[in-house]
Amino acid sequence: MAAGGVAAGTFGSLLGLGGGILIVPLLTLGFGLPLREAVGVSLVSVIVTSSAAAGVYLQRHVANLRLGMSLELFTAIGALAGGLVAFLLPDRVVAGLFALLLAYTAATMVRRAARRPEAPGPATSTPDAPGATRASAELPAGLDPEGAEPPAGLDPGAGAGFVASLSGPGYTVRRYPFGILGSLFAGLVSAILGVGGGIVKVPLMNLAMGVPLRVATATSNLMIGITASASAVVYLLRGGIDPYVAAPTALGVFVGAAVGARVSHRIDVRVIRILFIVVLAYTAWQMAVKALG
Amino acid sequence: MSGAVGSRWRGSQPGAAPDAPPGVDATRRLELAIARILQWGIGVSVALLAIGVVLMLVDGISPLDTGYPPFDPRVVVAEVLAFEPAGFMWLGLALTIATPSIRVAASLVGYLRQGDRRMALVAVGILAVIALSVVIAGAAGA
Repeated sequence: MAAGGVAAGTFGSLLGLGGGILIVPLLTLGFGLPLREAVGVSLVSVIVTSSAAAGVYLQRHVANLRLGMSLELFTAIGALAGGLVAFLLPDRVVAGLFALLLAYTAATMVRRAARRPEAPGPATSTPDAPGATRASAELPAGLDPEGAEPPAGLDPGAGAGFVASLSGPGYTVRRYPFGILGSLFAGLVSAILGVGGGIVKVPLMNLAMGVPLRVATATSNLMIGITASASAVVYLLRGGIDPYVAAPTALGVFVGAAVGARVSHRIDVRVIRILFIVVLAYTAWQMAVKALG
Repeated sequence: MSGAVGSRWRGSQPGAAPDAPPGVDATRRLELAIARILQWGIGVSVALLAIGVVLMLVDGISPLDTGYPPFDPRVVVAEVLAFEPAGFMWLGLALTIATPSIRVAASLVGYLRQGDRRMALVAVGILAVIALSVVIAGAAGA
């Protein structure tokens, strides 16, 4: 089980994923755990890896704390709702949704692999140059990127000032209301399926809101902690987390993520990615069978 | 260990150096303080989980044996004192889940000191959602 955690963590960090997408199938299909317990365990593991990563990203000044916090308010609301809904959904529905998520992730990876075969490393492999140029072109003259605008007021202009204060150096945050909606959805997905939801948050911030990919990935890691803890609390207090399973798994994922971060520059990520796509497709099939069978 | 975290963190608070200009510098220091909280929180959690797993192996408990003790904060302390694996695991898991909220509480303090009322309000909102989920889950689980 710990070994499985190590594998999930290594894979996850090599490919810039939280690892939750591997932990749930591993525990249900591999160890025969009930789906809901696997989701609870996965949520805890996801908090461990994402918080450890977020610490490093904050230290390196890559994550956008203001943006992360103002969006995680809504991912947390979504996660709270999702945590409660999850206990009402039949296992087969959850398995079906998970199969869809796996298939979607596999499709994303196929697209990414096709678009950029010379991927330099994990999490930065989607081209972010277009986004960066677009964002800097749109940066209004005279805008202080660190957001030192006048103190809060409830006048109509306050909303625009607040969104401007979320932007970072070289980019302006756009479509904040859409970001709120997307965050609610990301929280819901995370809580029901036990994943970090980076697969929703990163494209949301990068493609829809104009945040550079590097910053979006770092900020997503920061947000995942609160998102997952909002629903992990529900699982914990409702007896949905088995400590004897959660502890070795979380430990394994932590070790695996550290290993992945160390070896990522020495490994050909293309090979890993192709392998991963196969694994995803296979687990998607297995989950679909579970949903239908 | 928590004492060390507290003093290091307080030492890097924006308000600690009165000559520091508000804004950019304070924001950066808040980031570093939060980074440290996350790293310590997860570090201590992982250490507790590791102790729990080692004790579990020593006791010869298989993770897949059916049934596990329910999470009860009062029992956990007693279990830790009795050196039982479940106590350390629960403590590690609870600290893991609490770490992001501790981080938000710290940024609440930081933003209040910076006089950033809107971000402080956002932090309060996040903590309120977490508190709400504890209350709802607790009520439904009882």
